[in-house]
Amino acid sequence: MTITVFDAARFLDTFAAGIVLVGILIAGTRSIGRAIWLVAAQAILLAAAVAVVGLATGSPHLVLGALLTFASRGIAVPLALGLILRRSPVRQERNPYLGPRVSLIVAIAIVFVSTMVVDSSTLSGSLGASISAPRALPASMAEVLTGLLIVMTRRKGLSIVVGLLVFENGLALTAFSFTYGMPFVVELGATFDLLMVVVVVGVYARRMLTVFGSLSTDQLRNLRG
Amino acid sequence: MNELIIVILLAAPLIGGLIAWPLRGRAAEGVSVVAFCVTAAAGLGLATAVPGSSRITAFGGVVSIDSLGAYVLTLTIIVAALALWASPKYIRYELAAGELQPHDEGRYYALLLWFVATLIAVPLVDNLGLLWVAIEATTVVSALLVGINRSPEAIEAAWKYLILGTVGIGFALLATLLAYASSVQVLGESSDALNWTRLIAIAPQLNPGLLRLSFVFALAGYGTKVGLVPFHTWLPDAHSQAPSPVSALLSGVSITAALYALIRFHLVTVAGIGPAFSSHLLIFFGLLSMAVALPFMIRQEDVKRLLAYSSIEHMGLLVVGIGFGGPIALLGVALHIGLHALTKATLFLSAGALVQKYGSRRLSAIRGTLKAEPIAGGALGGGILILGGLPPSGIFVTEFAIIVGGVTRGYGPAAALAAILLALCFVAMAVHGSRTVWGHSGPVAAVRSFDLSLALRLAIPLLTVTLLGLWTPGPLTTALESIRAILGATGA
Repeated sequence: MTITVFDAARFLDTFAAGIVLVGILIAGTRSIGRAIWLVAAQAILLAAAVAVVGLATGSPHLVLGALLTFASRGIAVPLALGLILRRSPVRQERNPYLGPRVSLIVAIAIVFVSTMVVDSSTLSGSLGASISAPRALPASMAEVLTGLLIVMTRRKGLSIVVGLLVFENGLALTAFSFTYGMPFVVELGATFDLLMVVVVVGVYARRMLTVFGSLSTDQLRNLRG
Repeated sequence: MNELIIVILLAAPLIGGLIAWPLRGRAAEGVSVVAFCVTAAAGLGLATAVPGSSRITAFGGVVSIDSLGAYVLTLTIIVAALALWASPKYIRYELAAGELQPHDEGRYYALLLWFVATLIAVPLVDNLGLLWVAIEATTVVSALLVGINRSPEAIEAAWKYLILGTVGIGFALLATLLAYASSVQVLGESSDALNWTRLIAIAPQLNPGLLRLSFVFALAGYGTKVGLVPFHTWLPDAHSQAPSPVSALLSGVSITAALYALIRFHLVTVAGIGPAFSSHLLIFFGLLSMAVALPFMIRQEDVKRLLAYSSIEHMGLLVVGIGFGGPIALLGVALHIGLHALTKATLFLSAGALVQKYGSRRLSAIRGTLKAEPIAGGALGGGILILGGLPPSGIFVTEFAIIVGGVTRGYGPAAALAAILLALCFVAMAVHGSRTVWGHSGPVAAVRSFDLSLALRLAIPLLTVTLLGLWTPGPLTTALESIRAILGATGA
C-alpha cells in the first residue's frame, strides 16, 4: 500500500490532535511516572507523524529524522528519567504552584487560544500557502505553551524536565509544520544536545538527592538579589 | 590547510579532555596545558589568517570566519588562557579545603577543555542551526562546571542555569526555524539555506513577517544567554557559584559568544527589513538591562554577584550600542566587546583569590585587601576603576564612543539615559571597590610572599586595557575597522 500526500495530510491532523491530547493529560497528572511515559508516547506520535509524511513524500531524511526522534525522545530519554525516578523517594507532584485540575483546564484553554490565534492571525493568511503543514501549527504552538506551563508551575525537578520535553516536542512539531523539519545535520546536533541535557539533569538529580534528600526545587531558594 | 587547522583546533581540547578526565594533580594540569596550547596556536593562526574584508570558508561552507568571528575566536582563546593559568592554584586550594573531591580534579580540567571547545565552535560555523547547537552545548558543559563542588548553592545555580538556559535557547531554536522557513521559500531546501552568509545576501527577498518574528525569538533566546533583562535571572547565580576561573570564562566569553549569535540575527534582519525594527528592540532591552542591574549592584552583598550584575550592565550597553549603529558607536562596540571580556575575566580571577583568602564572598567581610592580599586586592580595585571607564582606561574611550555615536544617530535621550546609568553603575562599583581595598581587614593575616604568576596574569590584561585607551596598534585598528564594517555593512 502506498500512502498519498493527501492521506498523509489527514494522518497528520490525527497525529497533531493526539499530541495535543497527550499534552493535556500530562498537564493534568499528578504522578511523575505517568507523566514520563505520556511524554514518551507524545514523542512516538511525533515520530510517527514525521515518518508518515516522509514515506508519503518520499523523503528519506524525514524518515531518518523520525527514527532519531523515536530512539532519543521516545525511548532513551524516558528510560533515563524513569531510572532517576526509581531512586527518588517522592513519585508524586505534591503541592505544585498550580494543581493538576487547574493545569488541565489551563492546558485546554491554551489549545483553544492557539487555534483561534493561528486561525485569525496573519500567519495563516499571508504565510499559509508557504507553510508545509499549516494545520499542525496550532497544535505545535499549544505544545510549546503547555510545556512552558508545566516548567513554570511544577516543583519537582523531574516534572520540570518533563515540561521541558513537552516544550521540545512542541518545537519539533513547529519545525515540522513550517518546513517539514530542519536540515538533518541540525536535527542531529539538536538531538545530541537534548541527550546531553538529560545526562546533566541526571547528574544533578543525583546530587540533589544526596544533598537535599529529594528532587524538590523547594530547597533551591537560597540565591537571591 | 585551513580545514586541517580547524580539525586540530576542535579536536585538541576534545581529546585532551578525554585524557585528562581520569588523571589527577600535575598530570591533569599538564595534559590540559598541552592540549590548550595546541588549540591556541591553531586558533590564533586561523584568526590572523582571516583577511580583513573577506572570509575563510571551509568544509563546503559549513565553516565561515570573518573578522568578527576571528575576533571572538581570539578573545575566547585569550580568556581561556587566563582561566587555565589560574586554575591549578585555585583547584589545589579547593581540594585542600575539602570543597572538591580528589577525583574532581581531572574532571574539572576535562570539562574546562570541552567548554573551551564549544565556545570556539561558535564563531566558526556558518549555519545558524549549527550555531544554535554550539551555543546549547556551551550551556550543557558549563552547567556541569558551575555545580562541580556540590554545595547546595552551587547545585541550585547549576540547576536554574540548565533549565532556564534550555528553555531560553529553545526560543532561539524557534528563531532559527523561522529564519529557515523564510529562506526555504527563496532557496528551496538547499544545504546552505541556514547559512548567515547566504541569508544576508538574499535578505531583501525574505518574508518580512517571518524575519520580524524570527528576530523577536532570537532576542528572547540568545538574550537569555547574553543575560538581557528580563531573561537574566540565572546569570548572577551561575556566574557567582562557578569556580572563579570558570566564572571568568562565563562572564568573559560565554555571554560574548551568545551576543555574537544575536548580532548575526540582527544583521540578517537589518539586511531584510531595514534597521529600525531590531535596533529599537535592542536599544530598549539594553537600557532595561542597565537600569535593572543598577539597584542590584548598589545593594549587593556578594563580590562575585556584583561582578555578574556588572556583566549584565555591560552587555546591556553593548546591545544599546549595536542598536544605535553608525560608524562611531559600532567602533566603540567592537573594541568594548574585547575590553569587557579581558577586564571582567581578570576581575573574577582576582575576586576568586580574595574569596579563598577571606573564606567568604561577602563584600562586608572582604575588607582591607590592599594590606592582606595586595596583588589580588589591587587588581580588584584597579580593575573596577578600569571597567568603570576611568580615563585613561580603554573602556572610557569605548563608552564615550557608544554614547556620542548614539547622539549623532539621533538617539539623544536614549544615549543620555545610557550615560547616566553608566555613571551610576560606576559609582556603585567604585564604592564597593574602595571599601574592599581599604577598610579594616580584621584578623586576616597579611600575605608576605610575592606570587609572581598571580601578579602577571592579573596585571597583563589590566595594563593592556589601559594602554588600549591611549594607543591602538595598527593591526588592531585595521581589524576593528573591518569588524565595524561587518556590524554596519547593511546600512545600519
